Amino acid sequence: MAQIFDRSSNALARASLVLTGLIVIALGVTLDQLQRSPWVTRQGQRPDQPVPFSHKHHVQGLGLQCQYCHVTVERSSYAGIPPTKTCMNCHAQIWTNAQLLQPVRDSWATGRSLVWTKVHDLPDYVYFNHSIHVNKGIGCASCHGRVDQMPLMYAQNTLQMEWCLNCHRNPAKNLRPTSQIYNMAWEAPAESRPVWCTAADAQSGAPTAESVNCVTKDPAGAGPEMASLDLPARGAAKGLAGDVAAAGLPAMPVYRKFTSQEELGLFLVKHYKIRTPRELSSCEVCHR
Amino acid sequence: MSRDEMKATTNQAGNAVDSETKKADQSAAVTPLSLAQVRAELQGVKGKRYWRSVDELANTAEFQAAVEREFPGAAQEWVDPVSRRGFLKLMSASMALAGLAGCTKQPDEPIYPYVKAPEDLVLGKPMYFATAHPFVTGAVPLLVKSDEFRPIKVDGNPDHVYNQGSSDPYSQGTLLGLYDPDRSQHVMYRGENREWAEFAQALQSKVAATRDGTGIYFLSETISSPTLARQWKAVQAAWPKAKLVQYDPAIAGTPAEKGINVQYALADADVLVSLDADFLSSAAYPGFHRLVRDYAERRKHPEDGMNRLYAVESMPTTTGMKAEHRLGLRASEIPAFTAALAQAVGVSGVTVPAYAWTDEQKKYLAALAKDLKEHAGRSAVIPGLYQDASVTALALAINNTLGNAGKTVFASAEPLNPLPSDQMAEMKALVADMNAGKVDWLVILNANPIYNAPADLGFAAAFNKVNIVAHLNSHLDETGQISHWHIPAAHYLESWSDARAYDGTASIVQPMIDPLYGGRTAHHVLQALLNEPMLSPYDAVRETWKPAIKGDFETGWRKVLHDGWIADTAFVRSAAVKVDIPQVPAPSAKDAMEIIFRPDPSVYDGRWSNVGWLQELPKPVTNLSWDNAAIVSGATLTRLGLEEDDIVELSVGGGKVKAPVIVAPGHPDNSVTVYLGYGREFAGRVGSGAGFNAYLIRNTWAPLYATGSLKKVDGKWGIAITKSHYQDHRGARFGEQGTGNNSLEADEALGPRGIIRYATLEEFKANPNFAHEGEGRDTPALDTSMFPNWSYKDNAWGMSIDMNSCVGCNACIVSCYAENNIAVVGKQQVRIGRNMQWLRIDTYFEGDLSAPRAHFQPMACQHCENAPCEQVCPVGATVHTPEGLNTMVYNRCVGTRYCSNNCPYKVRRFNFLLFSDFETESLKLMRNPDVSVRSRGVMEKCSYCVQRISEAKIAADKENRPIRDGEIVTACQQACPASAITFGNINDKSSRVAKLRAKERSYQVLADQNTRPRTTYVAAVLNPNPELQQMPVEHAPANG
Repeated sequence: MAQIFDRSSNALARASLVLTGLIVIALGVTLDQLQRSPWVTRQGQRPDQPVPFSHKHHVQGLGLQCQYCHVTVERSSYAGIPPTKTCMNCHAQIWTNAQLLQPVRDSWATGRSLVWTKVHDLPDYVYFNHSIHVNKGIGCASCHGRVDQMPLMYAQNTLQMEWCLNCHRNPAKNLRPTSQIYNMAWEAPAESRPVWCTAADAQSGAPTAESVNCVTKDPAGAGPEMASLDLPARGAAKGLAGDVAAAGLPAMPVYRKFTSQEELGLFLVKHYKIRTPRELSSCEVCHR
Repeated sequence: MSRDEMKATTNQAGNAVDSETKKADQSAAVTPLSLAQVRAELQGVKGKRYWRSVDELANTAEFQAAVEREFPGAAQEWVDPVSRRGFLKLMSASMALAGLAGCTKQPDEPIYPYVKAPEDLVLGKPMYFATAHPFVTGAVPLLVKSDEFRPIKVDGNPDHVYNQGSSDPYSQGTLLGLYDPDRSQHVMYRGENREWAEFAQALQSKVAATRDGTGIYFLSETISSPTLARQWKAVQAAWPKAKLVQYDPAIAGTPAEKGINVQYALADADVLVSLDADFLSSAAYPGFHRLVRDYAERRKHPEDGMNRLYAVESMPTTTGMKAEHRLGLRASEIPAFTAALAQAVGVSGVTVPAYAWTDEQKKYLAALAKDLKEHAGRSAVIPGLYQDASVTALALAINNTLGNAGKTVFASAEPLNPLPSDQMAEMKALVADMNAGKVDWLVILNANPIYNAPADLGFAAAFNKVNIVAHLNSHLDETGQISHWHIPAAHYLESWSDARAYDGTASIVQPMIDPLYGGRTAHHVLQALLNEPMLSPYDAVRETWKPAIKGDFETGWRKVLHDGWIADTAFVRSAAVKVDIPQVPAPSAKDAMEIIFRPDPSVYDGRWSNVGWLQELPKPVTNLSWDNAAIVSGATLTRLGLEEDDIVELSVGGGKVKAPVIVAPGHPDNSVTVYLGYGREFAGRVGSGAGFNAYLIRNTWAPLYATGSLKKVDGKWGIAITKSHYQDHRGARFGEQGTGNNSLEADEALGPRGIIRYATLEEFKANPNFAHEGEGRDTPALDTSMFPNWSYKDNAWGMSIDMNSCVGCNACIVSCYAENNIAVVGKQQVRIGRNMQWLRIDTYFEGDLSAPRAHFQPMACQHCENAPCEQVCPVGATVHTPEGLNTMVYNRCVGTRYCSNNCPYKVRRFNFLLFSDFETESLKLMRNPDVSVRSRGVMEKCSYCVQRISEAKIAADKENRPIRDGEIVTACQQACPASAITFGNINDKSSRVAKLRAKERSYQVLADQNTRPRTTYVAAVLNPNPELQQMPVEHAPANG
């Protein structure tokens, strides 16, 4: 009986084996990439919103502070989406006839919410808390990107678990002084941009914002920031000087100069009492 | 290992050395014993011996079959109408897609911001408001957690002097009652939707037409609101011939309805006597929270002395089981016993009915009387609510004679509820008037008489003779179905009202949320007939309390709303008043079958039938859920030739009802207890059809207990008892005792595992370290495990449970339901062991079948440091945290259930089906937003309320401080009226939990397994009367 398969089919069979393997691998890689792609994570996408609200215009252009709208960011797990009232505070007087703002005026008139689409949307089984991040020295821009440069809001980062863990396993690389939390333009210290910090460990128990003081101008030069932020007693009322001396106030705080994020991060980890990476990456921190 | 192999192994005897001989022994042991044999066997036993159910004790074949598997019965199989095969077919397709499903995108999520944000609202931070749960035995002051103005958790008001933050299953369950999707939602007239204003107008014009109120009748639940009482008095003044009838089936016929108001200060009592008073098991007894707290407080430090509780009772309750000395008597014997006791302690003028007491009863009486006399002025005799009026009077007389009055017992001239009345007599008169055609309009306020009126009245027949019936209630219930008008009632969390707690302190009931369905209250109905018909309940309540609030009213009012009570409104207490002792009824014949009626410990009189949390709650002592039953003693069961779950027909007078029969160890013979509140037809999706309606055999002439009969009818009922769930299978394979199919209790029963450890006070004084002495009680050294030890640097969470304080009241379980979004699974699922409660209360009976003692042990995840579950999870879904929590990561869990199989405590719960309700809108409002709602195929268990830990950690970290002791309170701890549960950081040696752990009495359950649990138990110390050594066991501390 004649062979059904020609000898050449051996090669074909081998090739198909290899090809199958490759296809499986390719499929795996594709799915893996797909899972991380903006198509799934929505990173960088600008969903349709009822009003094309420009953070760039309001933050960079007008200089509104983040907390003017996101009022509960320091106190609660939610940063808060402003009520229509917040918009109307200004827009009852300016741009009162702008077509773009019609939905805002409708909302105000009818009492129905403006329905925004969530841009930074974590899965429901993730319990994220804004307040602890903001209080422990993670700036808005670290997660949300340069919002002040976004005409339309989009997610700068994937917000996937690996991205969270990236920082929770090494928080030092993103920490900044709490006074710089809302500073969109903050950049890590460098030789050209040193930061001076002092820690008031005597006040153990004070909230983080009060336990460390950082300045971007050399405190030896007695810049205005220092005067306003430190030891108001010293050099204030002359008549108190004697009392102050008698009370044994600590000497002028020692400022340390930082020229790299690594040094600053480690300093802040210590003085902000950031929990260890082992604790921060424990499951129950975000899942329960 | 396959299931068959496992079965083969588990069928072998405990000792692997000589399996063949042991196998033969084992098969002999498996032969069922008769009850007589069991009793005989028990009598020979020396040392403490525990057991959980009679089946377990006798080791019956049924029991063996039931416990063979991890989840008993057919729990492994698909039990829905869809066959397992069909299900698999369906699933195979979706399984293939399951891998891809992980890659799908989240749907777009909308944000609905406020238009104008409410002042003070911080989204994501709950607010707390004080209110009170108005209840017929005294209001429970509450502090309600409100998330975005949705009440999501109900707890006791921690600042209130009465309950000090504790609550009870009923109050906890009312939260689900608020969001019950089956509440009625429209005003209706003959089945058509109407408006409230139309009803108000119809009522007003009708009443106005009568000129004096003739023919206008109100039938209300017991009025507990002073404002409502005031409004009624105003209505009465305006329409003098209008009549008010109050009827609360659980109160009718008891001393509570007549306004007898006695208060106990148990903190100063060394000897407590309960005369059928179930004051430790539920809020059905007035003053429950306070009484439990005072009782438990005197048991927390046995080294400083402790109280002694005697319980004489007609059915086994947690009160009796906690008692040092319990005497089971039939209900009708108790008045005579009380009279004999009164005579024995020297109360004059008591006629004691002649009765042939047994030697045991005589001995008990003598010892009790002697002990009482020795503790004159430092004792308290507490009469039962569901007993003859003579018991209440005699108990007062005994307290007077002993000089307890004014020390531990106080009376108040003011009644607890403002309009006390003889409810049964009023009902009779009402039905007579209805039959006589005198009732033109009957306005029913929060009552359901068609369902729960006494059977002999023929209320339903009389109902048809009433011209117009208007019905205000939360549900379109049995009465609502046939009433002309129906008005949806507002829940107490939706309305303004007021109420008084047990101590008399007035609380304002303030709404937490706008009425979900536009409900109205009785205040609206009565106010509609007054001069200012539109006056809101808010204004009415303010008007009532204007005289009581001192200083500037508005300031005072704000303080009242903030605090939750009005200062200085407690009852004026006086030493107990002079009492006239009524004729003491003679006990019924010894062979007469007595039927005792009690409100249900879970659903009370039926008002909470549709609250799934309460329905599913295993009742104390019997562990029955989803049903009521005819509860009898083992001896009665045998005498009647019955088996558990058989159906019997109970008859009293002309009424008959079919009921399943179950045994409660310690129940008096020739006596049946039935719980009211079941057999509802129109309760809603949860409660309709559960159990049988005991009101059908309850009559005006015998509302508390009656002589009736019982006969077997064909069939089995199919009750759901959670007792034989949670078995451990590994005992045999590791060369330990038992067949390998043992619950913790069976383990305990079969050998000295030391799960329950206790001593008498004298033993404790002689040997304070008793809990750690004896076989199998050594905790292995730290390096025994193959796994490296964890180190806990900062916080290490731990829990301590005081076995002496726990009274098994179930408040913790319902609190856990609410806090942790636990699903209700339904009766069929409970029957096959799938109930989802994270916390259960194990009941260990000890001693004689007919007179057992019980130990209640709350059992939840022990958060082992060396956790067996963590080691077997293939996907890392249950992991150890740096603070020692054993945490579940739901979205990692693939449902292998290895963890549950490997858990020696059997505290893990698996979502076999989609138990959580993701669909019903109203339930979404109720969920705790800080806890995931679990879906199908996910394992879950107690998390030590990790959401509360996280919240406290974040708050503390923001302030750069360590977490303070007591800052984290778990939901179970918060609810516990006995303060039996303490939670905290065991690394902090000054914390309360660390101090409790350091106590010599503190022990770990199954410590010999080297699991190193974080939950520890403080061993109980009992204070028995040396004269009454009736327990058939010896308490030798050295050999446990």
